[in-house]
Amino acid sequence: MADNGGADPVNNNNNTTVALEGTIIKVTVKTPKDKEEIAISEDASVTQFKEEISRRFKAKQDQLVLIFAGKILKDGDSLNQHGIKDGLTVHLVIKTAHKAGDGASSSSSGTTQVGSSSGNSSGPSSAAHPSTVGSTGGPASAPPQTPNLLTGFGGLSSLSSMGMGSANFMELQQQMQSQLMSNPEMLSQIMENPLVQNMMSNPDLMRQMIVANPQMQQLMERNPEISHMLNNPELMRQTMELARNPAMMQEMMRNQDRALSNLESIPGGYNALRRMYTDIQEPMFSAARDQFGNNPFSALGGNSDGGVQPSRTENREPLPNPWGSTNPSEGGGGTGTTGSSTTGSTTPSVSNPLGVNSASLGNGMFSSPGMQSLMQQISENPQLMQNMLSAPYMRSIMQSLAQNPDMASQNPASSPSAGENPAQQLMMQQMLQMFAGGNSSSQTPEVQFQQQLEQLGAMGFINREANLQALIATGGDVNAAIERLLGSQPS
Amino acid sequence: MDKNDTTTYSVQLYIYDLSRGMARNLSPIMLGKQLDGIWHSAIVVYGEEFYFGGVGISSCSPGGTMLGSPDTVVELGNTEVTEEIFMDYLSSLGENTYRGDKYRLFEHNCNTFTNELAQFLTGRKIPSYITDLPSEVLSTPFGQILRPILDSIHIAPPGGNIINGRHS
Repeated sequence: MADNGGADPVNNNNNTTVALEGTIIKVTVKTPKDKEEIAISEDASVTQFKEEISRRFKAKQDQLVLIFAGKILKDGDSLNQHGIKDGLTVHLVIKTAHKAGDGASSSSSGTTQVGSSSGNSSGPSSAAHPSTVGSTGGPASAPPQTPNLLTGFGGLSSLSSMGMGSANFMELQQQMQSQLMSNPEMLSQIMENPLVQNMMSNPDLMRQMIVANPQMQQLMERNPEISHMLNNPELMRQTMELARNPAMMQEMMRNQDRALSNLESIPGGYNALRRMYTDIQEPMFSAARDQFGNNPFSALGGNSDGGVQPSRTENREPLPNPWGSTNPSEGGGGTGTTGSSTTGSTTPSVSNPLGVNSASLGNGMFSSPGMQSLMQQISENPQLMQNMLSAPYMRSIMQSLAQNPDMASQNPASSPSAGENPAQQLMMQQMLQMFAGGNSSSQTPEVQFQQQLEQLGAMGFINREANLQALIATGGDVNAAIERLLGSQPS
Repeated sequence: MDKNDTTTYSVQLYIYDLSRGMARNLSPIMLGKQLDGIWHSAIVVYGEEFYFGGVGISSCSPGGTMLGSPDTVVELGNTEVTEEIFMDYLSSLGENTYRGDKYRLFEHNCNTFTNELAQFLTGRKIPSYITDLPSEVLSTPFGQILRPILDSIHIAPPGGNIINGRHS
């Protein structure tokens, strides 16, 4: 049996009657499910190859379709002809029984039907099947088979084969959407069209359009505030004004951002912010994105609740710098925001993860004012980022962030109900100083707060340890440190 | 080779940058190395676009996902494989190695799928800068740190229809 030159034991199966003159090559045959290595003579024909394969894969020869380099291997060919050599991979598709032979005609007519809707070369594919009954012949026999083939198209084509109904509309919408997203100028062009303007100035119509979106409806059920907002014609009108006028829009956005950052300063405000984002903004973004593609409405809608609150907060200077070293509570809030934004973006959440992800890239994470100024600073000073990342405790923070995103959101250094261990505060302190562009972080707090310590000492606070702790906790603010000290010691 | 009158279909690779240019700007800072984009790819053949995501294999009209038009289109060549055979193949894949739950952002993602499809249809692989992306990211300290977070992300661009496994 082993009279082939260089035969291996595997070759015993391949003992065909044709004289095997060539060397044996090992060809990998790969199916969607698995792959096998088949040894065959270099000069073998495709038929012989298929024989071997049908044995190995336990399938009938006429069910086998072999593909190499984009070509279908026909029985009359030889392996050599296609350039199949040792070590190369040939792809195999095993047709299911009811598709082979008789199935070819009805599925090719099914293909032709689809071809008519997608309008490309699938039509001529019927010519490739020698057993085709007729190109459009037998539509009656098509229906039982078509569900099999057409589910492959995800149902879209089956809709179109039923007469170009809703399928086209969906495609149209998709196309419009994708065009809109890629070409922002088109949006402003659309806005300028008087017809559109007429439509937009009719708040009822707009409301109807928005409400018609099923995702919006879901959203409205979950958050009645949204439907309330939609029902308020004044608000709608204002919103549409804004959409028309991009400059005004930007101004509004900036106001919103400032308002949001104001929120951070009130106790519990940070939590409200986070809740607001996850409950309202996120689903609205995803829902709106699906329909309108980054609809500016959604941002406004989601933040309209937040917009109400700033009137209650203290007024601070515009464009606060959360990373300013003089105000660690803000900085901590900023860090906390980072933590929560990371959290918000990673929960495999509401609708589509990609939606959330690009929201975090484009909006959620970066739109928080803390993050924005951080990113600004970072892009101005790459060294800063290096510093930030190379700090050992930064790494441990990131690791613990990764393991427990919840902890990060509960743990901003700004939490007024302090009681955190000093080591943590120290760490936050140093981190903040680093963020602020700090070469100064290499000093110990004692040295840093030298001046403040002296001040405290002069006032009569003799407990240096306690002074230091207090200063660390308040970030060098002498007055606040005094409060702390007075709070803890009755003298 | 035009021995018979076999029809060929052109196969294209659509490449999208998921970061919309941000990776190009921010990657040197964040990762320490230059990445021109976070690549998502799809195969376009027979007038349809096919891609793999967190929900499994999906199809749509070319450029029809939320990502819009591709950044780059690569011509992979022509294939003789007919649509019928291709759909069989796809269904088979969708039942096994390319089910939705098999999605892994780093090891078994949309680009893995596209690569496999490209080899099936044309015998060629997709450009290596796409398939090298995960290892590029993971070789940075930042990538390693973010890995647990990133692993849980499933990219699933909306706008497509999901291809289910074969029925019986």
